[in-house]
Amino acid sequence: MNESNVLEILLVEDNPQDLELALRALKKANVSNAITVARDGAEALDYVFCEGPHSNRRIEHAPRVILLDLKLPKIDGLEVLRRIKGDPRTKSIPIVVLTSSKEQNDVVESYRLGVNSYIVKPVNFESFAQAVRDIGFYWLLLNHHPNLTR
Amino acid sequence: MQSESNLQATRKELDDLKAALDEHAIVAITDPQGRISFVNDKFCAISQYSRAELLGQDHRIINSAHHPKEFFRDLWMTIGHGRVWHGEIKNRAKDGTFYWVDTTIVPFLDATGKPHQYIAIRADITTRKAAEETIQRLNADLEQRVKDRTMQLEAANRELEAFSYSVSHDLRAPLRAADGFSQALLEDYGAVLPEEGRRYLRTIRASAQHMGALIDDLLAFSRLSRLPLSRQPVDTLRLVREAWEELRALRADRQIEIRTGELPVCQGDPVLLKQVWLNLVSNALKYTGKRPAAVVEIGCLAASGPPVFFIRDNGTGFDMRHAGKLFGVFQRLHRAEDYEGTGVGLAIVQRIIQRHGGRVWAEATPDRGATFYFTLEGTKP
Repeated sequence: MNESNVLEILLVEDNPQDLELALRALKKANVSNAITVARDGAEALDYVFCEGPHSNRRIEHAPRVILLDLKLPKIDGLEVLRRIKGDPRTKSIPIVVLTSSKEQNDVVESYRLGVNSYIVKPVNFESFAQAVRDIGFYWLLLNHHPNLTR
Repeated sequence: MQSESNLQATRKELDDLKAALDEHAIVAITDPQGRISFVNDKFCAISQYSRAELLGQDHRIINSAHHPKEFFRDLWMTIGHGRVWHGEIKNRAKDGTFYWVDTTIVPFLDATGKPHQYIAIRADITTRKAAEETIQRLNADLEQRVKDRTMQLEAANRELEAFSYSVSHDLRAPLRAADGFSQALLEDYGAVLPEEGRRYLRTIRASAQHMGALIDDLLAFSRLSRLPLSRQPVDTLRLVREAWEELRALRADRQIEIRTGELPVCQGDPVLLKQVWLNLVSNALKYTGKRPAAVVEIGCLAASGPPVFFIRDNGTGFDMRHAGKLFGVFQRLHRAEDYEGTGVGLAIVQRIIQRHGGRVWAEATPDRGATFYFTLEGTKP
């Protein structure tokens, strides 16, 4: 079975309510049949670099898009961004920062590290759900991705 | 006999000049080696040595050891070559106290062109030097205090920045949950709820969103005091047009007449002033919301002195008795159900205007509209 057919989203979110709402929105939008969740930065990096509990994964089977919150325990979002974008094996994975922070420093730093997109989570759920839907639709269906499997 | 009387006259002139000089200046004459051959009374007075103690002495008797060796080397080089030397010297009196003199030393040359004596004319500037030293010390003190205060301010700003960041992030998340799960409840179980129950949920959502707006506005307000203010010439008409454009959504499907008069260029921060116009215009649009035909007029009062900009609307106005509360943070003069808002818009306007050194005020009549005026200068530097 060609695993690159699996439209995979890696959702990195530590807040349980935000996580539940994001999953709800993604499910309703029906854009993905495989959503993986990481609850902190360390877990996210283990997944992407196929280490620790995820050492049975292959690095070429990268997620089609990573939704990344910035404020994460253990290793924070900007560090995760730095490591993924800093490694030639993983730097072309699209990363969308989805965060509460509107702070200009965060936006600037994220773009400096090579983020593909920076979305601020609105308080209003409809807008939040719409944003998640749009992100999913854009990166998984509309946007063309390089075929990373060798 | 003619030349004899000429000589007498010249002699008399010289004596008069010398007497006059002695009234004002401290005078000393030394030989080419620096030995004192003449001192006037003022020299004795200031140095506290008697004439007998000074004559024949080396000039170094009044040396204070304040000046480096190079100072005197340079002095002797200058006068040794027949040039006039001018400078300030710190000397030591007989009792060990110090005095400063503004000094001119003039060499007098013999027939071979070599100096055969030096005449030094001095003025006592001890008081002035003491004042100078005090000023320097006060300046250094002041510099240090400014440095300390700046460091304190920077630390306070950084704390505030960190606080804002925390607020910005941490307060919004639970609001999102309150709003999101209320919506989820409505979507998944709304059907089994009576209309009243659904209304409660919608109220919860509205409150959460309102609080989100309050947080945003409060953060914007707190940030305003910390932003540096850049003063440049600002095209007021262009700012007003841009603000009008950005508020397109508020104007949709409405009958609004906008009149703009002469709007002169002003000196200020374009980003902050744009915010002022955005807030004032959006208020005008908001409070004329119930008028079938809204009229908004923007202009500048014709007056001498700094320009007074104004914006007038024919909206609901307000009672002047409550005018004092207009610019308070979170203060509102209308019911929330009549006109939505957080009550921070005018507080932001006032803060920006004040940072420019200006003043903002308003006049209104209930149900007849309101006019807001502001200047950007003229209150204090």
